[in-house]
Amino acid sequence: MTMTQQDAAAEAVPASADGEGHLAEHDATVREAHRRAIGDVMLEVDNITLRFGGVKAITDVSFNIREHEIFAIIGPNGAGKTSMLNVINGFYHPQDGTITYKGNVRQRMRPYEVAMGGIARTFQNVALFRGMSTLDNMMAGRLTKMHGAAERAFDKSLADIPVVNFLTYPFFWTADFLMDAFYWGPYQKEEERHRRRVEEIIEFLEIVDIRRTPVGRLPYGLQKRVELGRALAMDPQLLLLDEPMAGMNVEEKEDMSRFIIDVNEEFGTTMALIEHDMGVVMDISDRVVVLNYGRKLGEGTPDVVQKNQDVIDAYLGVSHDRPG
Amino acid sequence: MTAEASTAGEAGARSPLSGLTGKWWFWAAVIVAVFAIVGLDVWGLDEDAENHKAILSFLGDGLVGFLKAVTEPVALFWLKLGFAIETSMTGLLVGVLYSLVALGFVLIYKASGMFNYSQGVMVLFAALTFVGLTEYGIPVILALVMAVGVMILFAIVVEFLILRHLVNQEQIILFMATIGLAFFLEGFGDTIWGSNVKKIPLDLPSGAMDWLTIGDWNVQVQWLDISAAATGAVMVVALAVFFNKTRIGRALRAVADDHQAALSVGINLRTIWIIVWSVAGIVALFAGIVWGAPSGVQFSLSLIALKALPVLLIGGFESIPGAIVAGLIVGFGEKIAEVSWGDSLGGGIENWFAFMLAMVFLVIRPQGLFGEKIIERV
Repeated sequence: MTMTQQDAAAEAVPASADGEGHLAEHDATVREAHRRAIGDVMLEVDNITLRFGGVKAITDVSFNIREHEIFAIIGPNGAGKTSMLNVINGFYHPQDGTITYKGNVRQRMRPYEVAMGGIARTFQNVALFRGMSTLDNMMAGRLTKMHGAAERAFDKSLADIPVVNFLTYPFFWTADFLMDAFYWGPYQKEEERHRRRVEEIIEFLEIVDIRRTPVGRLPYGLQKRVELGRALAMDPQLLLLDEPMAGMNVEEKEDMSRFIIDVNEEFGTTMALIEHDMGVVMDISDRVVVLNYGRKLGEGTPDVVQKNQDVIDAYLGVSHDRPG
Repeated sequence: MTAEASTAGEAGARSPLSGLTGKWWFWAAVIVAVFAIVGLDVWGLDEDAENHKAILSFLGDGLVGFLKAVTEPVALFWLKLGFAIETSMTGLLVGVLYSLVALGFVLIYKASGMFNYSQGVMVLFAALTFVGLTEYGIPVILALVMAVGVMILFAIVVEFLILRHLVNQEQIILFMATIGLAFFLEGFGDTIWGSNVKKIPLDLPSGAMDWLTIGDWNVQVQWLDISAAATGAVMVVALAVFFNKTRIGRALRAVADDHQAALSVGINLRTIWIIVWSVAGIVALFAGIVWGAPSGVQFSLSLIALKALPVLLIGGFESIPGAIVAGLIVGFGEKIAEVSWGDSLGGGIENWFAFMLAMVFLVIRPQGLFGEKIIERV
């Protein structure tokens, strides 16, 4: 986003003395806007149970995430929120239950297969490629999208012929690899195309000035933002955010909330996020599911969840005094 | 949060000298002191002075005598400039080959956190396969391609039988697995190709090149050394391009940095491991050929892995530039050491000098020249 756009955004939403208030105000309209756009069920989690030895991390939890919505998973520590994301993401494999993604019941999948299917994520403790620059981190997010010309030719011609495909693939692969290494011809175009997309995202997240910096040297708040950028570079259909605002100060939290809303509005990305700051959750999410000790306590719009007595007892009532 | 990170101490990398070694004035003082001592004594001597007194003078004269005994031969050595240049060149050329062997270790260590004990045996096995194939009458070029194919096949088998079952295991378990692999590969190569010494069937250039003349000294460089070093240099450059410029290189670096994050952006770890082991196998093949050229391919070839160890300690296990620079340092250093102190210490310095140097590095800079800084939170 350029400075002028930023200024325009600032004018559109008059800043009030109370930061949270203005966020909520801005948000009400945003929520209205994309609630209309919310579509069919994208991901359905059905009676998932996950055990580690004798410990049940998740017991019989079901919910669904709809297209274009911002969906929040909340609950006290140890409620099984991150485990839930890990199940969706393919890091964990549940003992019971099914996950239906875009209409298909998902078989046991490895994380990279899930990622290639359009599900990106960020981590609770920032998991960036620390030795690499911001730009390289984000380009790494596009690895699965990049295909060489030879590989494309292979997909069109020989890929479906058994035995032959197996025997000839190495040659296509090598051809691509050489074009890549010499930065030649079709490969150059491919690289430039992806680079352009990454630059768009870098500008969108306002991290232009750190694009050559090794991410290990960046302050924590920026690292979180780069991690979001890397996930966005995958052009995901579903974006899983594990505590995107953990450990941030108020200002950084506001920035992050704004980015999450903007991403949702501009790219239409469906998001599932875990967050502890109730103010933020209630402000930005369309629907909320509450977990406690691995079980589902409640589900619904923020207003409904806030009034649910079980939820208040387990979580909201003790940890937060925000007027409902 | 950031403040916390910056105040976290560097508890891991402490050593008694580490306070001083970071100060430029400490090193300036050391250099000035050494030159002062050398200057006082040595420059006055003529070239025919006997160096054999070195050890005796150490016993007799204490520290000053010791420093003199250590520095005097080095100074005398550099006075014979032509000879010095020739020795240095030979050292550097050998150093390129050390780098090549060390690179095989670095590649696998970076991508899978595994210290691959079997790298030395891989060098032997790859070279044996190449030579063995040519003994069946297969043309050299074809045999080379086939040997590359065998190393890729080997990578696939290793991934299928070992790596995928040991994901997320302790480093020591991975290390033990590679020890087993080394023993297996050694026996396997022996069974298939036999244990006799095999000659590399390449017409590598022999003899020496007259390079330049300094004073009355004719500086010569062996053609074999030059061609081996050239091969090594090409490999090293190719690997650097591969790692830093290509899509797969980017994926490799990503995996080296963070497994989980790499998975989450859609990188298939198993494919990456196969690629890395294949590349390490190909590096081993070239290392085996250039090392085997002078004296034939035989079991002792697998022991060059031992020479790679100090190179790794000096350069850092995770750094490709580190492996290259450290290889050159070791090659250069051990030749100079041999020529300078060989006489007074009874010769054979080349065999242990690299390890001494590595020990010094362990004390002063445990993470190696280019290794990642060890920072621990306390």
